[in-house]
Amino acid sequence: MIIGILTDWFRRSNKSERLWLLAKIEFKLRYYENKLGLLWALIKPLMDIAIYYVVFQTIMKQNVPAFASYLFIGLILWNFFVESTTGTVQILYAKKYLYEYSNMNKLEIYVSTLLSNAIGFFFNFIMFLLFYNLLEKGSTGSTLYTLWIVPLFVNMYILSLAIALILSNIYIIAKDITQIWMVFTSFLFFLSPIFYKLDTFKAALPSFDYLNPLAGIIINARKATMEGANPDFKLFLFDFAYSIFFLMMGMLLLNKLGSKAAEKL
Amino acid sequence: MAETLAIQAKAISKTFHISEDSHNTVKHRLFNLFNPPRMKKVEALKTMDFDVFKGECVGLLGRNGCGKSTLVRLLAGVYPTDTGTINIYGNTLLMNLGVGMSHQLTARENIYVSASVLGLKIKEIDKIFDEIVEFAELKEFVDTKIKYFSSGMVARLGFSIAVNAGADIMFLDEIFAVGDMKFQEKAVKVFESSWIQGKTVILVSHGMETIRRYCNRAAFMKNGSLVYFGDTETAIQMYVDDNHE
Repeated sequence: MIIGILTDWFRRSNKSERLWLLAKIEFKLRYYENKLGLLWALIKPLMDIAIYYVVFQTIMKQNVPAFASYLFIGLILWNFFVESTTGTVQILYAKKYLYEYSNMNKLEIYVSTLLSNAIGFFFNFIMFLLFYNLLEKGSTGSTLYTLWIVPLFVNMYILSLAIALILSNIYIIAKDITQIWMVFTSFLFFLSPIFYKLDTFKAALPSFDYLNPLAGIIINARKATMEGANPDFKLFLFDFAYSIFFLMMGMLLLNKLGSKAAEKL
Repeated sequence: MAETLAIQAKAISKTFHISEDSHNTVKHRLFNLFNPPRMKKVEALKTMDFDVFKGECVGLLGRNGCGKSTLVRLLAGVYPTDTGTINIYGNTLLMNLGVGMSHQLTARENIYVSASVLGLKIKEIDKIFDEIVEFAELKEFVDTKIKYFSSGMVARLGFSIAVNAGADIMFLDEIFAVGDMKFQEKAVKVFESSWIQGKTVILVSHGMETIRRYCNRAAFMKNGSLVYFGDTETAIQMYVDDNHE
């Protein structure tokens, strides 16, 4: 079904153009509307890193080597996930104008919004590479293994798309999903190895890296970008399977509930 | 002439369930688990079948609240049907006092987004961009967000996008009510020229003159039922009689 949709998208060639157009406009709306502009997208993760660095390295003395970079890669992946899920709960309401007057496929709205977040991630990742290679003291330098970030990010994109679909379609029938999801994300934040030492995380929550797909993606991204190693393939496959499963659920909800969005919202 | 289908509706119907209490949060649903919301059923459209062929201009007549707008939304693929199936062959444009536009975006961005949604490529939009702006009489406001526009300006922009971009199947819901008299004259003129040539149009209007002039077939609706679908004059006569009842 998904492949069918994708081929349909690209056969009618204006669809890819449209996705890119919508993504660009979305990106511009988000960053060019405030005074700091695009700079804010880059400053925010740096400020977060500074805070967690002080808490976990200076005060709690975790002694993770290259901790700032360790935080950096974890946080930018996490931020992409949060922006793409929390930020899209009301997407069917906010972007009603796109599907209220035509038979445009609603999935395109999600794909383009996440594409705009992906542009933000891309800039952040460049910052990370610069930071890791030029400023980080404990750096061993980037290697070709860094390229593994591409399939890992694809995994993250599908996962975020899936959760965005699920949440925003539930929003049609239950408006307080926004609050529930906010609580859940802060829980998930502490259950992902973003600022803990990996060994502490694994010792306290055994097998949890297999239960929480975000944890798996972050662990593998660090292996690829910082340790110069292959990702843990078993974990990688697990996370992909999770994403596909959630995506199927999301598509099901989009067909069941999303089709009524125009009349219910 | 071999006629190709544009819209095929088979046994379609639509009922709206309007709840009197707002049970649209998890909290409400949990607290009222054994106290289901009182639902009011509104039968907006009763079961109907019909075909519309490519290149036709079909008029849709009926008094207020008879289900014209619901039918148009169903056919445009905006609302799902409760029963039956609708096959739409082509992309659709629904227009009632404008097309879908975001108030957060500038006129320029809205033109690109809307035209792209209607199936045009960026290069094609570049070509018609000036025409759209010219026709909407908004040259000085191209880069202004439309939230600062007057309602007339927004409507003109929507009309202009629809006219210049178009779609295979267009649902025009009272479109001649847009803008001041000068703009309305322009709208009629463009409607009479080449805009709807080769396109499938469903025209909703209370203006019987409009329907008589442009439509080769017409439908008359009453209380959610499709009473008549065929000859334009007969449909108009039924509508007139219904108004005098």
